[in-house]
Amino acid sequence: MVDLATKSLVHDKLRFLITVSGVAFAVTLVFVQVGLFLGLMDNASLTIEHLNADLWVTSHDTKNIDFAHTFPETHVKRVRAVPGVARADNLIVWFMNVSLPNGAVEGTEVYALEDFGRWNFPWKISGGNLEDLRRGNYMFLDASAEKRYGGPFAIGEYREVIGRRLKIIGRSEEAKSFTTTPLTFIDFTLAQSLVPSELRGNTTYILVKLAPGANVEQVRAEIRRRLPYNDVFTGKEWASRSRSYWVDSTGLGLNMYLTVFLGCLVGIVVVAQTLYTSTMEHIKEFGTVKAIGGGNADIYAILGKQAAIAAVLGFIFGAAMAYALRPLIYKIDLKLVIPPQLFAIVFAGSVVLCLAAAMISFRKVASIDPALVFRN
Amino acid sequence: MIIEARNIQKSFTDGKETIPVLRGIDFGVERGEIVSLEGPSGSGKTTFLSILGCILTPSKGDVMIDGERVEAKRLNAIRKRSLGFVFQQFNLFPSLTAIENIEYSLNVKGMRGRDARSEAQRVIEAVGLGDRQAFLPRDLSGGQKQRVAIARALAGNAPILLADEPTANLDSVVGTQVLEMFRALAKKENRALVIVTHDPKVRAVADRVVKIHDGRLSS
Repeated sequence: MVDLATKSLVHDKLRFLITVSGVAFAVTLVFVQVGLFLGLMDNASLTIEHLNADLWVTSHDTKNIDFAHTFPETHVKRVRAVPGVARADNLIVWFMNVSLPNGAVEGTEVYALEDFGRWNFPWKISGGNLEDLRRGNYMFLDASAEKRYGGPFAIGEYREVIGRRLKIIGRSEEAKSFTTTPLTFIDFTLAQSLVPSELRGNTTYILVKLAPGANVEQVRAEIRRRLPYNDVFTGKEWASRSRSYWVDSTGLGLNMYLTVFLGCLVGIVVVAQTLYTSTMEHIKEFGTVKAIGGGNADIYAILGKQAAIAAVLGFIFGAAMAYALRPLIYKIDLKLVIPPQLFAIVFAGSVVLCLAAAMISFRKVASIDPALVFRN
Repeated sequence: MIIEARNIQKSFTDGKETIPVLRGIDFGVERGEIVSLEGPSGSGKTTFLSILGCILTPSKGDVMIDGERVEAKRLNAIRKRSLGFVFQQFNLFPSLTAIENIEYSLNVKGMRGRDARSEAQRVIEAVGLGDRQAFLPRDLSGGQKQRVAIARALAGNAPILLADEPTANLDSVVGTQVLEMFRALAKKENRALVIVTHDPKVRAVADRVVKIHDGRLSS
């Protein structure tokens, strides 16, 4: 069978390039936008997922992990006494100021636990021993601070956190928050002593690990009963709540949907416009197809196949461009997360939207009078 | 008669005005017969050819092909089965090679694979373009393009060939060569050939000349 659709599509190389580029651009836009969004969302709940607590006790109506509020640290004792709780620990998450060697003051998001090792947190360490944190005025600093604080840091150096000199005794990797503020890890009591007005005698979260076989809902209900002025979330709920906060409150979600919509629109318009122009330019050829006995369905098949080819090639090039951009995006401390599901959705979307764009030409095709082949 | 037109009338409307183009034409062609249909511009000859070619339907009257009355709902099927066209502007697909142009028309008519390829090969060799079969239309001369168009019309054994001004875009020498070749092939394969033309050279190859004037036939 002679493949008129493909041959006709590639015959006009410039138009073919424009069509495929239009789809590729739209696909790249969607991948980058959604990938960045997912990357940011990943950051928004990254620490929650790595702490891997079964339950999180928060102060009432806390919106997300970064914007924590205090409650008495003694609540942890009530939680530990709940049947089914294997362990429960206080966690402080708090923004503090760091004075840099150059005299500038920057922010840091402090995570403070009594025993980091027990929670395997931070999860990727490239220097230092977490056990040492409890021995004095020490801190672990995440590698992301180097960029934010304008230069490298080394283990053994000092940084002044809210006026107190802390020695950097270790370094973590990949620990990030949605706010992009570098994370610092210090001992729980040290954190309390740094901000006594707010944190003395207080915590911001309680992490709960359940005993094997414990029923999470029963334990949660019991904690709620014992701490009626706190909220209790499962790890998944808390991660989702933290992500949702940023999506809903910052317009990030709207921005993503809008860009994805615009990306799709650009793709549809380019494909529809080029296919329609191509249809108009090849109208006599389509008239010939009809004159030699072909029907509208034969021409729809040609246009449909051309749209599908543009979609598949545009998707391949678009996806390749998005992947090529990944290292550049990492360099500016952002993440491009492209899960397999997104791959499948964007591929299906490309094909469906390109076919929909081809349908705009269908009406024109249906109205082609084969008698036009006799006109000059 | 392989094709017969009985009292064909056709009128077009332009706003509220009805313009008669064909005013009752009776016409027929036998297998193997070559008819030249001549007439001045606006006489209705192309409209008549479109009706014979099952592209337009008459306002009144009937077209019979091989004894079967043509019905409006079966125009496509009849065009596929019984008709081959040659156009003034060749109307080849620019992205397909010469042989692919022929093979594609066979595909549209329902012939696929090796059968289509060997039939396309047969007719392209019949028109003397076996050595140009892989050329795109842009790389062929006007005469060669028209020979490809003739091969396309011949492919698939349609009993009726309709040609609209097939020499209009060719110079005199090439036009004569194309017409002689067309006549020879039509005769050899026992096809009916109707040629609409202004070109007096066509008379030389036609068995019969029919003139059309103001929508009526005149001898």
